[in-house]
Amino acid sequence: MSNKQHCPSPEMLTEFSAGTLEPAASICVSAHLHYCSHCRSELLNLNEVGAQLMTQSSPADINSDALLDDVMKKIDELPEVEAPQVKQRAVSDLPHAVEKMINTAPKPPVWRRLTKSLDIQRLISGQNKFEVALHKIHAGGKTPQHNHQGIEYTVVLKGSFSDEKSVYSEGDFIVRNPGDIHQPMGANNGECICLSALEAPIRLTNPLGFLLKPWLRINPM
Amino acid sequence: MRSEHILSVDKEPVSKSKVAVLSGTNKRDDQWTLLLVEVGTNRDRKAFAQLFRHFAPLLKGFAQASRHEGWFPGIGEELVQEVMIKVWQKAAGFDPSKASATTWIYTVARNCRIDMLRRKSNTQHLPLENEDLWQEADEETPMSALRQRRNEEQIKTCLSQLPKEQDEILRKVYLEGKSHTEASQELGLPLGTVKSRVRLALQKLQVLVTSDYREEMSNE
Repeated sequence: MSNKQHCPSPEMLTEFSAGTLEPAASICVSAHLHYCSHCRSELLNLNEVGAQLMTQSSPADINSDALLDDVMKKIDELPEVEAPQVKQRAVSDLPHAVEKMINTAPKPPVWRRLTKSLDIQRLISGQNKFEVALHKIHAGGKTPQHNHQGIEYTVVLKGSFSDEKSVYSEGDFIVRNPGDIHQPMGANNGECICLSALEAPIRLTNPLGFLLKPWLRINPM
Repeated sequence: MRSEHILSVDKEPVSKSKVAVLSGTNKRDDQWTLLLVEVGTNRDRKAFAQLFRHFAPLLKGFAQASRHEGWFPGIGEELVQEVMIKVWQKAAGFDPSKASATTWIYTVARNCRIDMLRRKSNTQHLPLENEDLWQEADEETPMSALRQRRNEEQIKTCLSQLPKEQDEILRKVYLEGKSHTEASQELGLPLGTVKSRVRLALQKLQVLVTSDYREEMSNE
């Protein structure tokens, strides 16, 4: 994944690096990093900015020796130090944050059908401003055309989909702003799974769309 | 694991080899990095104490700089303790070819500070810690250790030469943990001005000088 068109904006990366980005948006940026080495290396540099600012700021008054004693006592009470982890990609190859949300949910998240070509699996993310969920667009499926009333972040986890503007494939990061209308369509050669964080209810623009509303309403967890 | 069912399971696990990147001249030799490697490989308590004396006052200052929701008076020393215990625990996984000790400890501190403030202000079930969001960034990147190190030097030098207002805004963002929006309210500046100051500063540090960045700049 090296198409810079479909990466988070430099601003978002900066806020992610400083830790000031909205949690739901941060989850999506983090999922994107799983696929994008370009953004990963940008972040190494951004972290360096924070690190240098921290070391160049004036140190606070502190009784280091007393505190060090406390810390050493706590360290002695710790269980044996864990061996250095051999890093392996998870077998499922999902971004770590997504995998963790799925695996730590009190009840296993399930797929629910939204339309004949679109399923949703809502995830618990520990914040309530955005609905964080996985969407599955079936091969060749058309999702209902809809109008965004809030921001939506999407990261393609598997497969690809397209809309009026572009084709999006694995790892792509997409921001939809309030007022954007679009109609995503699944690729013909297989299903597409996306992570999304949706800020406010979307409005279906199809006249019969109201039939779907109860299931499409935003449901942050 | 439930998540295995989401995507197909046809990829070989990729194990990461540190051997190649750790060899030869790419190793870092700044004193804090050497000490941290000592802690990691030999569980050296003297080295840890030296790191502690250097970083504790900086970490306390860093903790106190962020007056966010969840802030409490004892946050300074609590953060120092939590971060330094993590440093001890995770030192074996520190890879000096990827980052200096300073950068590595900063990232631990940033993640701890966010989680600490969130824990104090939020009683919801929190499935993710900030560290979880940074696992991916830890993966191998194509950037050479040498280039990474050159970037570090560059950032260090250029930071001291930033105009006052750009330095101020970077401190707000990184040290005080203010979002661009919060910074604009606090400084009484339009959001666009805050954003462009951050951009200009990062450009001077030669961070994030990608093509789309320039494009955005010229559109304003």
